[in-house]
Amino acid sequence: MPVRSAYHLLMQACGVLAAFVIGAVAVLVTGDVVARNVGLSSFPWVVEVSEYSLPLATFLAAPWLLYRNEHVRLDMLLGALPRTVARLLDALADLVGIAVSLVFVWYGVRVIADSRALGSMVFKTLVFPEWWLFVPVPVCFALLAVEFVRRMLGANGLAPSRQGMV
Amino acid sequence: MSWYLAAASLFGALTAILLIGLPAAFSFFAINVVGAWHYLGGEAGLAQLVRNGVAAITNFSLTPIPFFVLMGEVLFHTGVAMKAIDAIERLIRQVPGRLAVVAVVAGTVFSAISGSTIATTALLGSLLLPEMLRRGYHPSMAMGPIMAIGGVDMLVPPSALAVLLGSLAGISISHLLIAGIVPGVLMAAIFVAYVVLRANADPALAPAFEQAPARGWSRWGPLLLYVTPLVLIFVVVIAAMVAGWATPTESAAVGAVATVVVAWAYRALTLSGLMKALLGTAAISGIILFIIVGATTFSQVLTFSGATDGLVTAVRTADFGPWGVLVGMLLILLALGCFIDQVSMMLLTLPFFMPLVQHYGYDPVWFGVLYLIAMQLGLLTPPFGMLLFTMKGVAPKQITMAQIFRAVTPYVLIGLVMLAAVMLFPGLAVWLPKSLLDR
Repeated sequence: MPVRSAYHLLMQACGVLAAFVIGAVAVLVTGDVVARNVGLSSFPWVVEVSEYSLPLATFLAAPWLLYRNEHVRLDMLLGALPRTVARLLDALADLVGIAVSLVFVWYGVRVIADSRALGSMVFKTLVFPEWWLFVPVPVCFALLAVEFVRRMLGANGLAPSRQGMV
Repeated sequence: MSWYLAAASLFGALTAILLIGLPAAFSFFAINVVGAWHYLGGEAGLAQLVRNGVAAITNFSLTPIPFFVLMGEVLFHTGVAMKAIDAIERLIRQVPGRLAVVAVVAGTVFSAISGSTIATTALLGSLLLPEMLRRGYHPSMAMGPIMAIGGVDMLVPPSALAVLLGSLAGISISHLLIAGIVPGVLMAAIFVAYVVLRANADPALAPAFEQAPARGWSRWGPLLLYVTPLVLIFVVVIAAMVAGWATPTESAAVGAVATVVVAWAYRALTLSGLMKALLGTAAISGIILFIIVGATTFSQVLTFSGATDGLVTAVRTADFGPWGVLVGMLLILLALGCFIDQVSMMLLTLPFFMPLVQHYGYDPVWFGVLYLIAMQLGLLTPPFGMLLFTMKGVAPKQITMAQIFRAVTPYVLIGLVMLAAVMLFPGLAVWLPKSLLDR
């Protein structure tokens, strides 16, 4: 089905982009250290870019991780309960997930709009409108809401997940 | 509402949604949404929730996390780690319980290069466990050391979790990373001693077997070739930090790039291997950092509800004394480790623990090391320690949960002794960072 494979591709792309951001920043920071130590000029913006890359990579990875059922969760109780009860509780959890995600989408958009209206700027080495920082939030949580709906409709239901280890 | 009612309802609700299987990150978010609405001023509170979420992870002190994870993932997915383990296996001969000793030593070396517990455990579990069982090792001899050494990864730098603890608790990250070295290595050494003593007393636990003879280059060569460069990377990462050439983030990034270069030099680097390593890194750091998105708001909600102040004041006035409070905090960590992951554990406890640490004047670096050891032990403690279930997942089908409990118990006891030792002799933790960094 084209919709399903497009969705799969979108999720994969989220993961690949997050991975790419991390790899690129590792190379960038290393380049900065080397340049500084061989006496070339240092690039003060690299520190800031590496800071901003963290939320970017995290918000990109989050929907992909939910899609792959990799977010840390406790499934001890669900595993011990009869299957029908477990399914019910799992659906309830998905419902909470949808509600939470929608709150983040709505207030994410509001924060972006407010910040734009105020014309807030970030003044560090790099100068840019503050609302840029918040753009990943509603996008990420919108995708998460979609994924929670999919889970509720039976995708991924009660699949074993990553036990709480990192 | 009195503080204990607020605390009880916040933690009660959190426990309930964790138990119905909502991922930990979303469970914190859900409590934050309700808490922010109630305590942080309705709509303004929810806008603050979004801003806090972005601010919590836009933080230079957290940037070493993905790079530390990347170091381990690169070695794992390019197969360089397997070569290193093989080299260590060639080296260690004629020792009772040889493969178990190899697991501990290889685990320690790999800890020194990888920032993630799961990579270490997965690597050793998948590589050495089947081999040990095939050679007739008793399950407790085979599984115990692997589970035990996986946890040591948290202590031995580079450790992603130590970075996270330092960042969330406001403890110097370089001090904390270096403070883990002595207790981590000491613990590994005691594990080796225990394995050797047990195998010596009861050779049936770990039957000796014929090995291909290896002398000279065939014994030492692989060590020089495959282990030395890894140890060098570790030394450079730590030295750069200690000497002040680079910040923890910078040395972590350089370390990550160096592992890629080493893998390339071994001709082990493939595009698909690198991609797998990067994706693995995005997954592990994404899991950690996404929970942290909720950290700032959660601690604000606890503060504004009066829960933090109420509980901290209650503990202070109850007059347990500094040692009583310290032991109490560590016991809470041991108990929590049975149920939840390490990141959630930090979010739950640090808002209460750090004010107490300040009040009683504990050395924060010392406390941080105790915290890491307790957290590591929590993952190993029966009946619910998370690492035990991870082991159950990778172990052959005939292994029962009871066998896993029995296998891990001696190592938990050794860990507890270590915890007590660091408590009584803070020098074990703080001497090295003090003498290296505070000159």
